[in-house]
Amino acid sequence: MPLLALLILVPAAAALACLLVRSSRALAALGVLAFSATLGLGLALVRQVLARGVVSEWNGFLCADALSAWMVLLISVVSLASAIYAVGYLRRELADGAVTERRFREFYVLTPLFGASMFLVVLANNLGVMWFAVEATALSSVLLVALYNRRTSLEAAWKYIILGSVGLALGLMGTVLVYAAACKNNTQSLPSFNWSYLMSVAGQLDPRLLKLAFVFAFIGYGTKAGLAPMHTWLPDAHSEAPSPTSAMLSGVSLKIALYALLRFHILTTACLGTAFSQHLLLGFGLLSMCVAAPFILVQTNMKRLFAYHSLEHIGIMCVGLGLSAPLAVFGAVLHIGYHALVKSTIFFAAGNIHQKHHCLELPSLAGLLKTMPASSILLALAVIGIAGLPPFGIFLTEFSIVAGGMGAGQILASVLFVAALATVFSGLLGHVAHLLLGEADKEPAGPQTPLSCVAAMALLIALLTVFSVWLPAPLLQLLRQAAAIIIGGKP
Amino acid sequence: MNAPTSTEIGSQLITFCAAGMLVFQLLLVVQRMLLASIRLFALQSLFLAGIAGVVACVHNATHVYIVAVLTIIGKVVFLPWLLNRQVRRIGISQEIAPLLNPPASMLLCGGLTLLGYIVARPFTALERLGSNTLAVAMALVLTGFFLMFNRRKAITQVLALLTVENGVMLAAIALTTYGMPLVVELGIFFDVMVAVMVLGILVYRIRDSFDSMDTSRLNQLKG
Repeated sequence: MPLLALLILVPAAAALACLLVRSSRALAALGVLAFSATLGLGLALVRQVLARGVVSEWNGFLCADALSAWMVLLISVVSLASAIYAVGYLRRELADGAVTERRFREFYVLTPLFGASMFLVVLANNLGVMWFAVEATALSSVLLVALYNRRTSLEAAWKYIILGSVGLALGLMGTVLVYAAACKNNTQSLPSFNWSYLMSVAGQLDPRLLKLAFVFAFIGYGTKAGLAPMHTWLPDAHSEAPSPTSAMLSGVSLKIALYALLRFHILTTACLGTAFSQHLLLGFGLLSMCVAAPFILVQTNMKRLFAYHSLEHIGIMCVGLGLSAPLAVFGAVLHIGYHALVKSTIFFAAGNIHQKHHCLELPSLAGLLKTMPASSILLALAVIGIAGLPPFGIFLTEFSIVAGGMGAGQILASVLFVAALATVFSGLLGHVAHLLLGEADKEPAGPQTPLSCVAAMALLIALLTVFSVWLPAPLLQLLRQAAAIIIGGKP
Repeated sequence: MNAPTSTEIGSQLITFCAAGMLVFQLLLVVQRMLLASIRLFALQSLFLAGIAGVVACVHNATHVYIVAVLTIIGKVVFLPWLLNRQVRRIGISQEIAPLLNPPASMLLCGGLTLLGYIVARPFTALERLGSNTLAVAMALVLTGFFLMFNRRKAITQVLALLTVENGVMLAAIALTTYGMPLVVELGIFFDVMVAVMVLGILVYRIRDSFDSMDTSRLNQLKG
């Protein structure tokens, strides 16, 4: 069965079907079905990757190794949860008149396209195709950000697409320069422009051009991944989008850009040795964490708070990857997964709160534990998880990043890392304690939260809890292989 | 005296076209009428297509001809037509005062062009045809970014983005013998078209809710 092709074609076909379908129930069902199918395909892919190492299709056009398979799993899980969540959430938005019939349909057409383009990013073997796919994720999600058509959401969408396109123009420059670096020795055109080919000739690339290429790619894909100081679009876009989209943007789309960046990092490492790209990742990772921390302390809007928090966590992942110690890289790869689960849950909770209280301003929200207990308890668990408290896995991953850093002798970086973590920790818990436990001053106007909205959150929290205490052997093996790919620079 | 070979003629033609692209870029920086700006972009793209055509001719590479034709269809005909239609429909023909006045922008762009030459200097030996094409490409990218920050009209920002993209495509042609693989070129072409259409949809929606396409009004989201 052509797994890789199906992973991309199934959501794309669902998007097409959504264009034709009339009833809103069928639209919602199609979304859930499509991503359930990709989750099944993703699991099958993991099995094949574990058995064969690398799976490739269509003459090597599509290719998956452990790192791609891990990303495929994350995209499927988060997209599926978000499709389930959207069933109740969007029906209510439609009933409240927050979205028109036309925008409602737009959501269901664009979301599977967004998913399909993310799958293409992680499965494409050709650098140019990967660039094209990253741009496609931006183009398919920008109208989702603008879905509510408020002035603020249009502003957010404009910033998102303009900064994203500028970044991706630079990413394209990086791609072109890699091609040129590979062309140096032969006057013919390259036999192929695939990652697998480039990795096999990594030693013969022109080092100066590759360095320049990495800088361009880093700034380019770094913009899309929301690294500071190119992050200014991130809090706007993630807070203005409808909650299911926010979850996909924060939960996986940032990591997709990070994945693209990582591929360049792996190639550069194979050609130039570790130091060059590693320092860039480490430096910008720490900068992102330090930039995010003060904004988290003073933030008054719940969704913006957690958008800045995503910025911090992208920083954490970059630091872990940049430290290049096996323990830290393993921690970072696992962290990507936990963060995807938790951050999506939190954005779902924000959506529920907004539908109930018609407000997301933290100072005027309090005592939610009484007014909406189910969402609140799940939110509390998610926040405990994301703040890095045991028993949840993020404690483990953050600890292994610090331990790896200390072990590698990066004392200053590790200290800065811990300081930023501590600041964010206190800020976050302060905000959320007030939100959940404070004294409620008025009865909320909105009706009961729809079942599917709670179910999606419960699903993700259940996954988080299970995988925090027990990583199944195949998954652990997959993660080890993914970390080895990043460190060793093997194709 | 020997008659010049086809490679030499090609080389000179490419240098000429690249210089032309830079000239149009600088004109674009000081141009305030939107319709004229769109025409300048179309001319710049025509020169890009010219370069691709010359490369295809010299190397006898079929797929580079396709790139040249696609550039003409997409960037010289279709996109300018689309943008023109938008400008007419929205009914604003002139850019309000840019952040920097024309002489200052011109000076700054001169500086950016120099910077482009400095960045490209170590790599001149790698260029296949023409001289300093990579430098021009870098200069196009840098001045394109400047253009984007200097202007406030949504459509001018889209144009600036497109000139950056022209710069990247020029670099691709300058540094590689046969340009990028066809599948990549097709992908880029398709992406640029879709991007401009999506941006167009947003411009309409911004225009509808703000009664303006002045992006400096998009300033409510802070902190």
